[in-house]
Amino acid sequence: MAQMTLHTDPAFTRELMEAGGSDLKKCFQCATCSVACPLSPEVAPYPRKEMVWASWGLKEKLAADVDLWLCHNCGNCSDLCPRGAKPAEMMSAARNMIYRDLTPPAIVGKWMSSCKGLPWLFGIPAVLWLIVWWIRAGFNDGNWFPRTADGRIVFGQIFYGDYTIDPIFMLTFFGALAILAWGCMRLWQMFKPKGSLLVLGPKQCWIKILWQVLFEEVITGRKFDDCQDGPATGVPQESRRVSHTMLVWSFAILALVTTIVAIGHWGGKVLPCILIETPMPLTFPVKVLANIGAILLLVALALLTWRRARLNPKYQSSSYYDWYLLGIIWLVAVTGMFSQVFRLMDCIHSAFIVYYLHLVFVWMLFAYAPWSKLGHFVYRVAAMVYVRMYGRS
Amino acid sequence: MAGKIGVYFDQSNIGGGLDAEALAQGVRDKWGSLAAVVKVVPVLAEAVDGIRADIAAEGLDGLLLCGASPRVDADLYRFAPHDGTPVQVEHVNLREQCVLAYRDPDGASVLGLPPGDAPELLRLMATDYVNMGMVRLSKTETPEPATGPGTRRILVIGGGWTGMHAAMEAAASGYEVVLVEKSDKLGGAANNIPVSSPLSSPWTDKEPLELAERIARLESEPRITRHLEATVTKLEGQPGEFKAEIATPQGPVTVEVGAVVLATGWTPLDGKYLEPMGYGSPSVVHAGQFAKMLVEGKVTARRIAFVLDTTLAEQAFGAGALAREAGDGGVYEAADALKEDEGQNVESDGENMDAPYVKEDLTSIRHLQYSNAVNSVGMLRQANIICDKTNDAVQAFVIYKNMAIPGILERFYKKMQDRLGLMMTKADVTGVKDLGDRVVVSCANTLLGMDFDLEVDLVVLPCGLVPTTAKDLTVNFDYRQGPDFPDLDLFDGFADSNYICFPYETRRTGVYAAGCVRQPMTLDACAEDACGAVLKAIQCIEAAEHGVAVLPRSGDTSHPLFNFVRCTQCKRCTEECPFGALDDDEKGTPKPNPARCRRCGTCFGACPERVISFANYSIDQIGSMIREVQVPKDFKKEGPRILILACENDAYPALDMAGLRGKSWSPYCRVIPVRCLGSVNAIWVSDAMSKGFDGVLLLGCKYGDDYQCHFIKGSEICARRRDNIAETLSRLGVEPERVDQLEVAIDEYDRVPDLIDGFVARITALGPNPFKGM
Repeated sequence: MAQMTLHTDPAFTRELMEAGGSDLKKCFQCATCSVACPLSPEVAPYPRKEMVWASWGLKEKLAADVDLWLCHNCGNCSDLCPRGAKPAEMMSAARNMIYRDLTPPAIVGKWMSSCKGLPWLFGIPAVLWLIVWWIRAGFNDGNWFPRTADGRIVFGQIFYGDYTIDPIFMLTFFGALAILAWGCMRLWQMFKPKGSLLVLGPKQCWIKILWQVLFEEVITGRKFDDCQDGPATGVPQESRRVSHTMLVWSFAILALVTTIVAIGHWGGKVLPCILIETPMPLTFPVKVLANIGAILLLVALALLTWRRARLNPKYQSSSYYDWYLLGIIWLVAVTGMFSQVFRLMDCIHSAFIVYYLHLVFVWMLFAYAPWSKLGHFVYRVAAMVYVRMYGRS
Repeated sequence: MAGKIGVYFDQSNIGGGLDAEALAQGVRDKWGSLAAVVKVVPVLAEAVDGIRADIAAEGLDGLLLCGASPRVDADLYRFAPHDGTPVQVEHVNLREQCVLAYRDPDGASVLGLPPGDAPELLRLMATDYVNMGMVRLSKTETPEPATGPGTRRILVIGGGWTGMHAAMEAAASGYEVVLVEKSDKLGGAANNIPVSSPLSSPWTDKEPLELAERIARLESEPRITRHLEATVTKLEGQPGEFKAEIATPQGPVTVEVGAVVLATGWTPLDGKYLEPMGYGSPSVVHAGQFAKMLVEGKVTARRIAFVLDTTLAEQAFGAGALAREAGDGGVYEAADALKEDEGQNVESDGENMDAPYVKEDLTSIRHLQYSNAVNSVGMLRQANIICDKTNDAVQAFVIYKNMAIPGILERFYKKMQDRLGLMMTKADVTGVKDLGDRVVVSCANTLLGMDFDLEVDLVVLPCGLVPTTAKDLTVNFDYRQGPDFPDLDLFDGFADSNYICFPYETRRTGVYAAGCVRQPMTLDACAEDACGAVLKAIQCIEAAEHGVAVLPRSGDTSHPLFNFVRCTQCKRCTEECPFGALDDDEKGTPKPNPARCRRCGTCFGACPERVISFANYSIDQIGSMIREVQVPKDFKKEGPRILILACENDAYPALDMAGLRGKSWSPYCRVIPVRCLGSVNAIWVSDAMSKGFDGVLLLGCKYGDDYQCHFIKGSEICARRRDNIAETLSRLGVEPERVDQLEVAIDEYDRVPDLIDGFVARITALGPNPFKGM
């Protein structure tokens, strides 16, 4: 009987265990996890099958698995697992491993996978902005901490928007977007079954579906409520909908503010009536909006951190990826707030140094997004679009 | 023989409208001076001091306690001898099997009736039981125990893991030990197990076996005498005074021992049984060979499949396959052919004692199946060692159909599941093919939802543990019934008597099996088994010294007594004794070995001449009880009478429980407990028939392969005798259906009334016993 030969890769299993799925071998295939999962479909449910692939070391199977990305990591499966195999951890570890290697440059993915890479990750933007600082200090008569003629602290004197921040961040932002897009396409390639695929029923354009997904799922955080609708686990759980949705909204607001300021600044050069000068006065509507976004971000961060800190390690724990993203957002938020505070308090040295760090962290947030947990946000959306394209919802 | 009997009625346990005073008066009227004291007491359990005073004042030598079942508060009613005269105690069961079980022919209950209002049928029943009790007591004598020397030396056969543990355990308990080992070194199969599965708490970790240290400790133990390269050539005598002949390199040695622990272990199943699983090619080995490879450090394979699913071998050698093979001229040995010999085995050696005994090889594919649990643990253990050695770089696949992990070793199994290098998976192995550079294991019905081939460097197959008793005469009994354990084929050669309640027991009293010769087991279980068997051996020596029975009638001082004057040397008793207790001389006169005897009475059930009796249990005693029952002449008006002879181990307690739980049965039955249905003598049936009983129901344990009989063969032998009895009855013109034997388990209280009522209905339909009133 000719049948397929199983290619097992123990190294992959070992790697997966080291990447966070350390208990995956405990699985004895009872499928409680698949029943516990409120999102899992009736046909070929997850995460049982992923667990058996993982323990066999079937790397290709896992890489081609779209279900991996549909998981919202509520932890129901881990709570109810009778053996403590923590399927949620394994799923999360598998995702991390996949987007680590999904896009070039691969070295960044490697740096991002453990704290050993942090010096590199921090060093690159630190040097970059230090060079900018040094060059700009030259323009200010060698003064690294200059004031304006009227004695105010204006960060733009050193980190001049038009020539430094804007081009660097635009490059970084669109570069990261391009890498993410490349990653999404690779993922779709991996999801596609080998051979030809016959699609029955109407086929929709992916853009339309993306739109649906963004409005029906992402902005509302609906899936988190579905997570909550799972079977009672006996383990206290709090909804992640509020904190996650708050985070999404705060990002949206800050992105909007950034866009307005960018349009105001660059557009102002053409249409002086829409010119916006930074720093904006505290009462200026855009500034108000910016501060609302910042406060939302801080509250969401506090909620998320509080939740992670209280996770019962018996069922769920936090990986390096979780803490990296939380940490970097915290640093962005805190340095952002404090650079404003120090500026208003007129502590010039602290203000510039903290603002410099702010720029470093913001750069880290954007530039490394494709290999961070932010990336999985994008890839999950891509997976959701993919399954909707083929009739699953 | 009790001559001065005190009769006590326990008012608190006699209800149903029975008038205890009237019953007492009946005893006085009928038995006169034999019933020296007749009293009705409000609560018997509170009258014990009064009874003691009566014993002293009146010099009573027998007590008849009428009330609850003899199984209730038995401890309370043991009385010290008075003036050197022992006091016999009998109980009359007026509660469970009389009032509580009583059902009026019109269906009415008697519970709650005021004293004196009992229906006539119930009064008759109670009177019968009281009179039967009086007869029984008057025919009971105090047994004299057959004491013996009780040699405090234990023979341990087999110097493997189990045997070593047994020897150390016995020595630690203060007993001399003679340890006989066939090979030239101790340790046996454990020599191939440097690192064991867990032997102690927390039951998760491998443990070094430290065999060399253990052997050194054993060798320095002064109480243990070792004989290496030695075998037991003969065992004669009885517990407490066995004589064992041992062949040693220095010449034969004879030692006296009190009891024997059989720890002869196992040998691996012949490789041919594993051939359907790919055995025979260089990259396919069995677990025993793999163990040796591990010890010698010869394992280089990096991908190893441990195949626990033995379906391929079973299909080739199982029952179905054998039928197919038979057509081809029987290439393979017919493992099931033994089945056909069944029945001949019991008495086959009866007449040709001089013919040399031929040991049958009981090896079969079933030994592979029985070894599944040991292989499950063993393969995990071996895979664990390999993973340890390579820091999980190796891939060990354990492919199972049934992963059977005994008891607390579950913890070990769980820990092994977590091992990175160890992959356990459930699958049907459909083929093992050696392609030269790799072996392909084909798996179907897997949890991956697809069939697949697994490519490995080495395949390890399970090892079948064949007990040494399946192939060899291990003990060489010099017994009338032959040199081997009887009916080994029932257990596929394992020296296990299938005693649920009595592990370690064999059918040869004083010989206790332990370890893998009893059933395939892991090392920790072997060590525990050794302790259990040694404790049994010690009990047995003590019992032999005091002249009392071992299980199941522990402490019974009675033993069969022979009135050889009447013996016709028919050999029935020597052949039928389930324990081979009786040897005989050249003429065939039975030679009792009381310490081998378990007191079931099968011998006297067999004896046509009523030669055999116990001091407190005899043909005459039960016969007299049967004759004591008042059987009415008018079948139509006063109903039939049915005699129930109930096994006191299971059937009698079941009847008690039925009564206690509100079940009832026909009021025409009279129950007499017997030690075992094996002790039922045909004469009792003719006693009953000539007395006018309309039917005799023998109520006993299940027999056959999965028997429940406490004496193993009792109910089976009784069933065989019943056929003879039925034949005799029909020759006399009595319907053979009047005697029936039904099987009941101790927990079948809900079923037993229906069994009885069904029998009564059949008898009622037959009409009266033709001998009635003659």
